[in-house]
Amino acid sequence: MLHNIKDNYITSVNNYIKNFDDKSFRKLAGKDFKSWPDPLEETWRLSRLGSLSRKKIEPISLDAQEPIMSKLNVVGSNTIKFINGAFRKDMSSNLPKGVSLIELNESESVTFLSKIKNSNLKNHPSANASLSCTPSIVKLSVDKNAKIEELLEIHFEGGVESSSVHPVLFVELNENSSLSIIERFNHTGSLIMPLQLIEIKDYASLNSIKVFDDSHESYNLAAHCIIMSHKSLLNSFSLIKGSQFTRSETHAYLNGTNAKLNLNGVYISGNKQHHDLTTAIYHNVEECISKQIVRGVLGGESTGVFQGKVKVAPNAQKTDGQQMSKAILISDKASANAKPELEIYADDVVCAHGATVGELDDDQLFYLNSRGISKDKARLILIKAFLLDIISESVEETLHDFIFNEAQSALSSILKNEIEEFV
Amino acid sequence: MSLLEIKNACLKLDNKNILNGVSLSINSGEVHAIMGPNGSGKSTLSYMLSGRDGYELESGEILLDGQSLSDMSADERARSGLFLAFQYPVELPGVGAMSFLREAVNSRRKFIGQEEFDHLAFVKEARKEASKMFVKDEMLKRAVNVGFSGGEKKKFEILQMAMLKPKVSILDETDSGLDVDALKIVSDGVNAQRSDDNAIVVITHYQRLLDYIVPDFVHILSEGVIIKSGGPELALEVEKNGYAGMINAA
Ligand SMILES: Nc1ncnc2c1ncn2[C@@H]1O[C@H](COP(=O)(O)OP(=O)(O)O)[C@@H](O)[C@H]1O
Ligand SMILES: [Mg+2]
Repeated sequence: MLHNIKDNYITSVNNYIKNFDDKSFRKLAGKDFKSWPDPLEETWRLSRLGSLSRKKIEPISLDAQEPIMSKLNVVGSNTIKFINGAFRKDMSSNLPKGVSLIELNESESVTFLSKIKNSNLKNHPSANASLSCTPSIVKLSVDKNAKIEELLEIHFEGGVESSSVHPVLFVELNENSSLSIIERFNHTGSLIMPLQLIEIKDYASLNSIKVFDDSHESYNLAAHCIIMSHKSLLNSFSLIKGSQFTRSETHAYLNGTNAKLNLNGVYISGNKQHHDLTTAIYHNVEECISKQIVRGVLGGESTGVFQGKVKVAPNAQKTDGQQMSKAILISDKASANAKPELEIYADDVVCAHGATVGELDDDQLFYLNSRGISKDKARLILIKAFLLDIISESVEETLHDFIFNEAQSALSSILKNEIEEFV
Repeated sequence: MSLLEIKNACLKLDNKNILNGVSLSINSGEVHAIMGPNGSGKSTLSYMLSGRDGYELESGEILLDGQSLSDMSADERARSGLFLAFQYPVELPGVGAMSFLREAVNSRRKFIGQEEFDHLAFVKEARKEASKMFVKDEMLKRAVNVGFSGGEKKKFEILQMAMLKPKVSILDETDSGLDVDALKIVSDGVNAQRSDDNAIVVITHYQRLLDYIVPDFVHILSEGVIIKSGGPELALEVEKNGYAGMINAA
């Protein structure tokens, strides 16, 4: 079934890059783009692209019409906009001192490409298609020692039916810098293929929030490569709620000692939505910490996937790797899959993982009922608490309400169908 | 008419007979103690009374204020004035203690036709009641029972009882896990609720609690039946001779 998308889409990507010379990074990327993941390939087994393959999709034309912009209530102090995958300086605000944003030139783009090709994203469809088709690779860089107080907000919008959208972003935090960003995906197109490289140098720290809220006919195949150095810190939280199919795949390389990664996520799925958080964390050196909490709430006939691999290299002693995933099914027809995977080659490590898929806890429900709280209300309280708990743990306090409201709006729409007395 | 009437209650769990014809009649203003060895069915009785799913009667009847409870769900029973203080209070991560209390109190008040508390009025009321129970304000800011000590959990149960003003309260091993100081506070809290308009059922394994909450009647439960009833002196007999003698004699 995937032959369709393979044949049609790869041909159209090739047509798109025909105009570039042979040495262009686009052509280099396109050369590797020979096939889409085989549905039997292990990491794609639970997230099949079959329905996507029945669509005829072409890379969005650079002179595609301006989309009708969604009205997002901005929470950040500075806004950066990507429309149809292209950075729009004219619609973005000025950046705080210490932050720069540039579009990479040809040779810088080739360097960027080789970093991606050296990572396990090398065969990811978004890596290949987006490097081939992106309008430009945009680099957001924070100067050495710069501590940015302002929250940067990045909007990814636009999209036209039957088109693919290719924002490519390189976030670089130089030594001892810090930054908080919130990224929001609100496309109306059919296939969104964001590609990101995030490099956090020694002693630098990044707080990153992503809200995937593309329209219901969309597919989002986000791919992230994270490279962390000595004593760097990344707090990352993703909320997946939109689209009919979103898979956010992240490969994080802990390459400097004492790096610390918190990689948390929530998905809220209803109707026939399919949401997938796939992560791989590579502990390559000693004394790094990675913590992961993933939670899902699934209603309707939705499906959820969490795949989390933690790989500890032979010399990565004193690694601390923790992973917990929990999905709650609130309808009989929803289902979730969790696939934790530990590959440990060092001996002095603390690694734990746990994955549960189930319904709400009977003891908790009864406790609430025994206090006069109705069954439906009790379910609602517990589902909200399940999410509030992880949101308050993962997100800086000033953004709790915002993220909780974002989660709540998705919950409302899926609970309306499940809980009669929904309020 | 008695406030709570249990008539020949029989109940099976997993096809095993757990309650084998419990009958009990409790009037307003009374405190009854139900004592029994571990596994005698005390918690099962309390779950059955409060309407937990899976604890439906096989036969028999329960009446609260003359009204049959058999068709009422747990939340309806609670709103009608039945309260269970849990042997093992349940942790609710992410559910703030204050908003939980308010939700519970308002659903009861709404049911009995009283005005619901708004947020501010409620916080004031809750703090007042909490201080009587030596429950710190800070505890009400935490999630329900999460990170509470054994004593704090039991105090929080009795705080809920004080705020819900139930007609019948069932206290399941409220003394377990309490040191003497906490036992005193919790017992004082319960005693403060005693009135001519309500009744309290104290379930306990040990006589100790009954020094603090002095019952009017004591019942001994063994293998799902009440084998003996009497006054407070019965508890002392248990303390002296253990359950075994009593059970053998029955
Ligand atoms: N869910 C259950 N399924 C089957 N048997 C149960 C269940 N819960 C409790 N029991 C059994 O019922 C009996 C009474 O238990 P319980 O009411 O908890 O006793 P107590 O509170 O007096 O210690 C025990 O033998 C216990 O093993
Ligand atoms: Mg018990």
